[in-house]
Amino acid sequence: MRRLLFLLAGLAVISLIAMGPGSGGLQPANGAAMAGKTIKIGVDLPMSGGEAPNGEPTNNAVLLAIDEANKAGGYKGMMFEEVLKDDAVNGVHDPAQGAKNVQELLADSAVVGIMGNFNSNVGKATIPITNAAGVVQISPSQTNPGLTKPEFGALDVRKAHPTQINYFRVCPTDDLQGPVAADYAFKKLKLKKVAILDDQETYGKGIADEFAREFGKLGGTVVSRDGIPKGTQDFHAILTAIKAKAPDLLFFGGVTTTGGGLIRKQMKDVGLTIPYEGGDGIVEDEFLKVAGDDANGSYGTVAAENAEKLPTAKGFLAAYKAKYKSDPGAYSANGYVAAKIIIDAVKAVGPDRAKVRAWVANLKNYKSIIGTFSFDKNGDTTNKIVSVYTVKNGKWEWLDQINFTL
Amino acid sequence: MRVLKRLVPYRTALVILLVLLLFPLVDHNAGHINAGADAAVYVLLALGLNIVVGFAGLLDLGYAAFFAIGSYTYAFAASPFYHLHLPFWPMLLVGAIIAGVFGALLGAPTLRLRGDYLAIVTLGFGEIVPTVFLNLPKYTGGTNGIVGIDQPTLFGYQFGFNPLPYYYTLIVIIVVSVIGVLRLRDSRLGRAWLAVREDEIAAASMGVNLVTTKLLAFSFGAFFSGFAGALYVAKLGVVSPDQFNFTVSFTILAMVVLGGMGNVFGVIAGAAILYEFQTLFLADLTQWSNNLGHAWGILFLTKLNFVNLKFLLYGLGLVFLMLLRPEGIFPERRIRAIITERESVATEIPPADVSAAGSPAGGPPPHAGP
Amino acid sequence: MDWNLLVLQLINGLTLGAIYAVIALGYTMVYGIIELINFAHGDVYTAGSFVALATLTLLGATRHMAAAALAFALIVTFLAAMLIMGATGVVIERFAYRPLRGRQRLAPLLTAIGVSFSLENILQLWMGPSPVPFPQVLPNPFFNLGAVGVGQMQLVVIFSSIVMMLALHFFVQGTKLGKAMRATAQDWMAAEIMGIDINKTIALTFFIGSVLAGAGGVITGLYYGNVWFINGFRAGLIAFTAAVLGGIGNTTGAALGGFVIGFVEVMTAQYVGFQWAEVTIFSVLILVLIFRPTGLLGQQLPERT
Repeated sequence: MRRLLFLLAGLAVISLIAMGPGSGGLQPANGAAMAGKTIKIGVDLPMSGGEAPNGEPTNNAVLLAIDEANKAGGYKGMMFEEVLKDDAVNGVHDPAQGAKNVQELLADSAVVGIMGNFNSNVGKATIPITNAAGVVQISPSQTNPGLTKPEFGALDVRKAHPTQINYFRVCPTDDLQGPVAADYAFKKLKLKKVAILDDQETYGKGIADEFAREFGKLGGTVVSRDGIPKGTQDFHAILTAIKAKAPDLLFFGGVTTTGGGLIRKQMKDVGLTIPYEGGDGIVEDEFLKVAGDDANGSYGTVAAENAEKLPTAKGFLAAYKAKYKSDPGAYSANGYVAAKIIIDAVKAVGPDRAKVRAWVANLKNYKSIIGTFSFDKNGDTTNKIVSVYTVKNGKWEWLDQINFTL
Repeated sequence: MRVLKRLVPYRTALVILLVLLLFPLVDHNAGHINAGADAAVYVLLALGLNIVVGFAGLLDLGYAAFFAIGSYTYAFAASPFYHLHLPFWPMLLVGAIIAGVFGALLGAPTLRLRGDYLAIVTLGFGEIVPTVFLNLPKYTGGTNGIVGIDQPTLFGYQFGFNPLPYYYTLIVIIVVSVIGVLRLRDSRLGRAWLAVREDEIAAASMGVNLVTTKLLAFSFGAFFSGFAGALYVAKLGVVSPDQFNFTVSFTILAMVVLGGMGNVFGVIAGAAILYEFQTLFLADLTQWSNNLGHAWGILFLTKLNFVNLKFLLYGLGLVFLMLLRPEGIFPERRIRAIITERESVATEIPPADVSAAGSPAGGPPPHAGP
Repeated sequence: MDWNLLVLQLINGLTLGAIYAVIALGYTMVYGIIELINFAHGDVYTAGSFVALATLTLLGATRHMAAAALAFALIVTFLAAMLIMGATGVVIERFAYRPLRGRQRLAPLLTAIGVSFSLENILQLWMGPSPVPFPQVLPNPFFNLGAVGVGQMQLVVIFSSIVMMLALHFFVQGTKLGKAMRATAQDWMAAEIMGIDINKTIALTFFIGSVLAGAGGVITGLYYGNVWFINGFRAGLIAFTAAVLGGIGNTTGAALGGFVIGFVEVMTAQYVGFQWAEVTIFSVLILVLIFRPTGLLGQQLPERT
């Protein structure tokens, strides 16, 4: 009995694996015929658990781009199709799962390129794989400089083909946003003493580090620097400690869900009435909801042009709202552009991985809903505009923008 | 011939091994081979934890700590971070030994503790170790972790990001480990572990040295996580602290309990099944059901989306599996014997049978009433 | 040393500790009676916040309501959260833990974690994956008490937690049902011979523990102004640590453990660095257990019954 069970279980696992997607097991009978007619875009995002607010709106935008392309006739009668993979395991983004997903996507020869991932540390596991395979990968949101810039160690990430760039991103890196935030606080707001909190994640710590470096360079003082333990809800103690150091500004590196909103809200609880600043991780409606009335007087930087000032983005915003009955997420527009680039590449050179990669690598003056940009020699966007926002009357309002493009 | 005869009891295992060895020849999907290799890493981890929990009956809720130590050991030794590029194969052993040493070090403070007090201290270590890696960016890369970890080469063959060589390497290491673990179980030390698990006091009075027996259990348990860690990060090429959170400890524990604590082959099956369930079955459930719907023309199935439900399905699956087979899918004979004996003795179901199997982890009865 | 700052932090620690203590009570009661680490308890606490949020929304409560209407809404909210969570606790015990009672002891631990995952996901499907704002019906002005300041909500948290702890204490020590609980925890077999219905007593324990967690959920919802479906994970883990620190199975110990851990976390934020909170909390736990293997107030027990 025991042995039988054992054997059965083993066989079940193997057959499950063998029947997996892409290997033909459960594919429709006309699978082969259909595969000839669809061009697949691989998507790897964190979609489940606490990460769903990141993945879902980004993925929605990708679907929107694919829909539009198909409505316009696809490519020579072939339709575009998304293959979605979730890199969250037990609700948390997981580099190993991302690597596995990317391997699976690459194993499907109909996949011409990959849109993703979302989190920088997942990228560190997936980029080496797509780089070795020479398949284009475009991220909407990974801002860690180490993924592209050799001086931050990117050559270790693209070890297989260091010069044949396959990884691109449509968002500028943390080493732009942090300094802009510091400049704005020091020069425009005339704040000289800052306390810094970060959420100890790749994005949050990265932007806080860059902020601190620039703020120090300008002659400001960093009076305290702390990390937030994962899952913290109660910030009264650390805010009390910060208040005792009498800073003029509290800078937060991180996103709304890792504390961005709660910190702003609890500042008032301990009588800390100084301005609050953060990166694009807090410039979203979520932050306004969490911080409530206390959101006013917060500043945030976004490494993009103000979408509402861009006439090109209006159509996207309207289409998104119409289709999903909700506002786009912070990286929806970027996700849309990333998918659109892959689609346009296919339209230009056909569904061939090598040609698509080469086309994207040579992309110059690409007109998109987030502005016109090219990819530089490391795969970074040349669209280096950082906007500064503030919360007034419970709404994020655009204040200023700094252009690094030149 | 004699060798063949000795293999007879393991014929099922050998058949499965053969199937697994041939599997990549049938399925060329790198993603599936990759999932197989990752599952193998968890098999190694489960084998190690089984020594602590299954053999010695010490409940360990922080096993990911040793996994982290093993992983970081190799990452430090073979990456641009410290500009060290030590060769993989010797480091595999060194990583395992270092993890083993930490097993003994972290085990030491728990020696006086019993039952769930022990569990919570191991849980504490499981939280402390990744937090320390996270909070010392100068020495560990902090949240960014370490990238560009060297990948193994064998006689000039570069492993790279091809999962296939890792898959076969892991199978070889698992086979060696299983032989080692089985021999360990039947050794003097192994019988001492079982004795401690069944009745600590009796074991001590029979001359078993509790301190060394327990420390060696932690140490050998951690040893395997060293193997697993080095292979895991070499294959992935990156290590960061958030890869070793509580869910990892818990997943490994679930693999051990689900497979059948103490039963080496059961634990292996438990690890493989749970891992594939999580990363292949649940991850691709949407796609499967959609494909099935297309194939059979069932519109309803083509529209299902399980992405948001998969964590829920995982939780419910655990609950139901444990309710159906509380002693695991492949219970160790000894544990089953104890459980059935208890059931026949007890007329009423006791509130909590402290002396049931694994009871050294059971600890003191709840006398300190509310 | 800045004494005013120390006092401020002690108030913060007292508030945080009170929350941990209320959650820890549920862990310790369940453990005391059936020796189960009820990992789902932290999520029951979060679910309490969600029920409270739904109730307040249903009643349309805002800060600008008349005082009487607001008081009524709050009472209804507390009752709803406490009763629904109490019932949830009983249901969980009945279907996920009772069938495994007396079996191999790791099985219930895994079902507990399975229940915890399931609960988290049900909450996520209910209110979405993002943090949800909680109606701020109680103002939280910051006022000065002599040289130091304190937030009004902090006083509410401390006061209501202490009321709950006292109520529990009198229930367990002073009523017949409480006596049955203590007896069952001491020796279930003898208790049964004495005519105590074990199943009922255990269900009651789950009910009370979950009621406390539900109330805790309402209080923190009001205090933090925000609920998220995965909040229960860290809160539960730390509260459980508090229960162990105090001597698991001992309600006074759980309360003490909660306050100690609250203070440790706060002092870490002030004097060490907030990112080390987990490390200091667990280090304190390990140190205490090395010297007192059964926690601060746990008794040294005989080996086996």
